[in-house]
Amino acid sequence: MRINLVWEQYDVLVVGSGGSGSNAAETASEMGASVLLVTKDPLSASDTKISEGIATVRASGSADDSEDALSENLQLAGGDLPDVNITSAFAKDSQRAYDKVRANGLRPKISGITKNPDPLPLPMGGHTKRRSVGHKNSGVAFGHANWNSIVKDTKIDYKEDCWLIDIITENKKENTKSIVGALIYDAQKGKLLAVMCASIIVASGGLSTLYFPKTDTMRGNTGDSYAIAARAGAELVDMEQIQFLPFCLTSPPAFEGLLGGEPVTASYLGVLRDKNKKVILDGVYLRTRAECSAAIMKAVEDGRGTKNGGAYLDMTANKKAPKSGKYFMSFLKGSLPSAYNNVRQAMSKKESQCEDLWEVRPSAHYMMGGIRVDENCCSIGGPKGLKQHGISGLFAAGQAMGGLFGANRLGSTSLTEGAVFGQRAGKNAAIHSRNISGMNSLNKRLFIEKAERVNSLIGQKGHLHASRIKLTVQKECWENLGPIRDEERLNKTKLFISKTKKKLKNISISNSVKWNQGLIEYFELENMLDTAELMATAALERDGSLGGHVRADRPNISLFSKPYSTIVKFFGAGVNVTRLPRKQTEFKKLIKFKLEEQKKFLGARILRLMPMSLKDSVLERRYKKIMNIQKSSIAVSPGSNEAAVGDQKIL
Amino acid sequence: MTVRRTEDKKYLNVTIVTHSEGKDMPVDFKYQKRHEREKPMALDVLLQAQETKIPDLAFRYGCRARNCGVCTIDINGLPRIACRSVVRENDELRAMSTLPVITDLVVRRDQISRQLRGKIYRSSGGNDLNVDASDDYHELTSCIECYACLHNCPLHEKNRVDSEERYEYGNPFSLLKLQTIVMDPVSSNSQKNDAITQAVNLGLDTCLDCPGCKCGIGIDLKGKVVDPLIKEAKKRENN
Repeated sequence: MRINLVWEQYDVLVVGSGGSGSNAAETASEMGASVLLVTKDPLSASDTKISEGIATVRASGSADDSEDALSENLQLAGGDLPDVNITSAFAKDSQRAYDKVRANGLRPKISGITKNPDPLPLPMGGHTKRRSVGHKNSGVAFGHANWNSIVKDTKIDYKEDCWLIDIITENKKENTKSIVGALIYDAQKGKLLAVMCASIIVASGGLSTLYFPKTDTMRGNTGDSYAIAARAGAELVDMEQIQFLPFCLTSPPAFEGLLGGEPVTASYLGVLRDKNKKVILDGVYLRTRAECSAAIMKAVEDGRGTKNGGAYLDMTANKKAPKSGKYFMSFLKGSLPSAYNNVRQAMSKKESQCEDLWEVRPSAHYMMGGIRVDENCCSIGGPKGLKQHGISGLFAAGQAMGGLFGANRLGSTSLTEGAVFGQRAGKNAAIHSRNISGMNSLNKRLFIEKAERVNSLIGQKGHLHASRIKLTVQKECWENLGPIRDEERLNKTKLFISKTKKKLKNISISNSVKWNQGLIEYFELENMLDTAELMATAALERDGSLGGHVRADRPNISLFSKPYSTIVKFFGAGVNVTRLPRKQTEFKKLIKFKLEEQKKFLGARILRLMPMSLKDSVLERRYKKIMNIQKSSIAVSPGSNEAAVGDQKIL
Repeated sequence: MTVRRTEDKKYLNVTIVTHSEGKDMPVDFKYQKRHEREKPMALDVLLQAQETKIPDLAFRYGCRARNCGVCTIDINGLPRIACRSVVRENDELRAMSTLPVITDLVVRRDQISRQLRGKIYRSSGGNDLNVDASDDYHELTSCIECYACLHNCPLHEKNRVDSEERYEYGNPFSLLKLQTIVMDPVSSNSQKNDAITQAVNLGLDTCLDCPGCKCGIGIDLKGKVVDPLIKEAKKRENN
């Protein structure tokens, strides 16, 4: 059966309806652009909606929280990989962007003293100021606001159940590519949409589904953003940098991969143990997510992993302390209510009461790398990062973009990222489309050729099924491109990908045009394979451990060595990789940062080894202090004041 | 008898009703338990069915933690959130009956949001953003949009469910969105009036004879949404 091709014309096409997509659509529409938003999942059903709902709002805690301070926190945490222009833009816009979300119905708790949104009582790990604002109903509250921003405006056209297949570009002058539109599979209506537009905003999220079920994010994260942009010729940055949450559940199946706790909720006496109960990491509450994940995976690597390939999180010492134990339990329950809820349902009573050890394992959570853009979300390329070497008309926001977080993302920043860069992308895409003329004379043949390919897929005969191949990709990614990597594994992954790509022609796809699940699985599988190939290439280039990228066969990359980002792009049949030098933070600041960190670890170790009677009193005082200023029951961290400032514990 | 019991411990028999080109096709599926005491959720069953028996089985899911609201299906005729609903022997899993089925367990959802298109937050409230919202406001924004509330809704049943692009008559979810605006401390009076007018236009009077609706996650829809809207609508009518 042939599928109908329907032509549409818009100024701006937005792909995705989460935090960044909805903000982008609203802003572009306000700028006067005609906007089509397409989303494969229902409106606003995104990582934003299922998040913990804590957003970074600069100066919400104290007036002396400067833009420089926030930007610098991001730089240090990201191992100097972030682009300074992008972190500065984040710091500059965070309040204004957040207020725009509030205008759509997001209602934080307002402080009686400052009359502003009330941040959590202590700075979250890595932030030097109180600026993380929690919300009732967590991410669902953001979900409503984002839904409202799309539905309220009749000028924004939106379509659910639509899979973007490919972006279509035209070579205008020598070596410059411009967007002319995109081809979209409308599964609900059983049509192909040929959307002619000068600007496309890619806001279709991350890639954690490459690791399913070892992930706590939305199913739709099949790497669409990266694969689609890369196939159109875009450069991607820091693609080896993915954030794993260390303390996720291993069983039962319905809960596998979901969040159990964070380093901070392990509290003062929490340690990680291997299957022989030997301590593999102490001072857990001061560590970053990446450090904890690495410790677990290194134990697994040595054959000291638990039954389900993880480690034990031991918080029994916190609970046993006669005086402070009860404070610990209320701290644990109140800090991450939804995570604790998972634990209570999935684990035994003794475990959920912290009288027994938790079996934990890392889960894929957030992609820090992504499409290479400038601070206005425009695709850029080349050694100097110029627009003329990017794709004219291509914009990216949210998890799809790279350059903001580098090697490590601080807590509470991603919701703000969606708002800030969604709005920036919307504004700049609208301006770009305004300046482009001649869309009417464009070459329709470019669309028709792509549509023919889809027609040849519908009814394809074969003995394989895309949904099953997806499972093999997920297994491969976890084992060889996951929280621990080495050269042999990465080469294996590359080989696996090229072999699997050859199988695509043997996939069976049914004849139907309306919601053809086999076709949908095929498109997503293709995106997963392309994304994994880009990641594996970047991971081979980064031949040392840094942040979310852990190499078992190479030493750690020193904080004092010259920082660089990896840049990957498709080139012919392969992937081209280069290094992009980044600006290093002053040595003076780096040394101060290292010394403070070492002091904290030492303090934590001394505390843990003190006799119980002594440390119990110390802990009781500390908990009381937190609880006293804790007005809301949303995430707070015991060590936050002094929590892990960045990701590099190595000199 | 002993053999039978071992069987029971290993497998769970369910019916998955697939759907294609307007026709239902029930498929018997034997879910293989991963251990004897496993109590699988409906989503576990669907995932295993896709992996083993029906490779192109179509169904929606997202977060696996009852937050995203997209995996709602009917289990034995009642709407359930698949990722957090335990399946029992001989259960029947199928698409929600209250929305048009596209393929297998996937229903079309966007005719619901389209009925509010351009009808909410039409102007900026103009009030100071820095005011606290009430607990009732926050109770309403805990809605995950699972659409379980459409079940047995006499208002929603007035729609030609299978053919409309944008439903004319309302439902508990749309009324909740409108009542959220009424409860929002930042809304202007004209926004609140607007929201109540929209609720009346969506057929609020049908709710007068209805014993009340049921929410998939436990929001008091009658007490916090429908009754307050009716009260306000009556007040405005009397003025």
